[in-house]
Amino acid sequence: MASILDRLYEKARQNPQRVAFPEADNEKMMQAAYECAQDGCIVPILVGDAGQLRALCQERGYDGGVFTFVDIHDEAYKNKLIGDYVVQPGRKLKEKALGRRMADPLYFAAVMQAVDEADVTFAGINNTTGDVILAGQMVVGLQPGITTISSIGLCDIPGFEGSEGSLLAVGDSAVCTNPNAEQLASIAISACDTVRSLLDWEPRCALVCYSTRGSGQGELIDKVLEAAKIANELRPDLSIEGELQLDSAIVPAVAAKKVKEKSQVAGKANVLIWPDLNVGNIAVKLIQQFGHADAYGPMLQGFQKVVCDCSRGAPVSEIKGNVVISAVRAAGMKK
Amino acid sequence: MDRKELEAKILELVSTSYNKDIGTLSMDTRIKEDLGGASVLMVGLVSEIENELDVLVQLPVAAACKTIGDLVDKTEELL
Repeated sequence: MASILDRLYEKARQNPQRVAFPEADNEKMMQAAYECAQDGCIVPILVGDAGQLRALCQERGYDGGVFTFVDIHDEAYKNKLIGDYVVQPGRKLKEKALGRRMADPLYFAAVMQAVDEADVTFAGINNTTGDVILAGQMVVGLQPGITTISSIGLCDIPGFEGSEGSLLAVGDSAVCTNPNAEQLASIAISACDTVRSLLDWEPRCALVCYSTRGSGQGELIDKVLEAAKIANELRPDLSIEGELQLDSAIVPAVAAKKVKEKSQVAGKANVLIWPDLNVGNIAVKLIQQFGHADAYGPMLQGFQKVVCDCSRGAPVSEIKGNVVISAVRAAGMKK
Repeated sequence: MDRKELEAKILELVSTSYNKDIGTLSMDTRIKEDLGGASVLMVGLVSEIENELDVLVQLPVAAACKTIGDLVDKTEELL
């Protein structure tokens, strides 16, 4: 059977999305953009000093016809983007401030994305995660009702037989350190939307902690209960439940024993939401170390459109995987 | 812009960004404890300061301010 990544490559090829690369001067980033385009997965847009990018493209032996080059010094195009942006409802940055920030290719790309000249902003090889998140928050903005940016990862766990086979989505293991109840609800909602757009899953999301349905008490559990309540009020269309222990969430036999009332999630969760980053970081490492899982991500979520941050040390193969995942998510969000 | 005008302007921007009655705000208002709200509100506030005062207060700098008075100090330094 094809791996999940192979399946996502195939899915990306069926509906290639426009991906803006504001760090294409970086050799690995340009190579990843080129190879993804050659694979037919994306339409790459290189954003920066176009003259320099064209020269680098030639120097590196790539066919420049594969790329669209966008020059951040093109005042006419920049002004058009600014004009289109500031008339959008709810936008905070105005002409002058936006224009100043657009001297940075990351912000230029984000504005292009916000006005639908690109579907994804893909960065992180030169910029820090904080830089990418800030640009996304300031320019692209958050989904309605969402109060924090967060992340999920997709784990492919050999031998695990869950409701989606060996796959399980988990979050947040990377971004939101100590979420309050409102933020935890945001993480859960965003995670459901992410797996739906990426994998076409019907999300069944468990807010996990050390208690199942009142088996434990205390403030740590109160937060999870409150988060479930907020999430259900905000998005009654989603199946988000808590509090559940991890085994109650993913093992049908345990759920049958511990969860007496009707549940859409218990025993068949395909998305797990950790109560904080301590749990998330440790849990992912346990899954990787003892479960020998492949973990894909972290995928940033909560933005109005897909903004992706890759690791600054990422090899080309990993960047390509993340580009493809982002493109598939962007296509899924348009449905 | 003198200090008093700057204080008045920042109070107005905080009031708008955090949706608080300006009469309840002062230089001693604590940003995290008294205003609460998500970090996205601070993103909005920094954007408004940039729009209105033409000065770029970086988000981490603004987020490190304990009170509105601290934020006025930082903005004044950058003006």
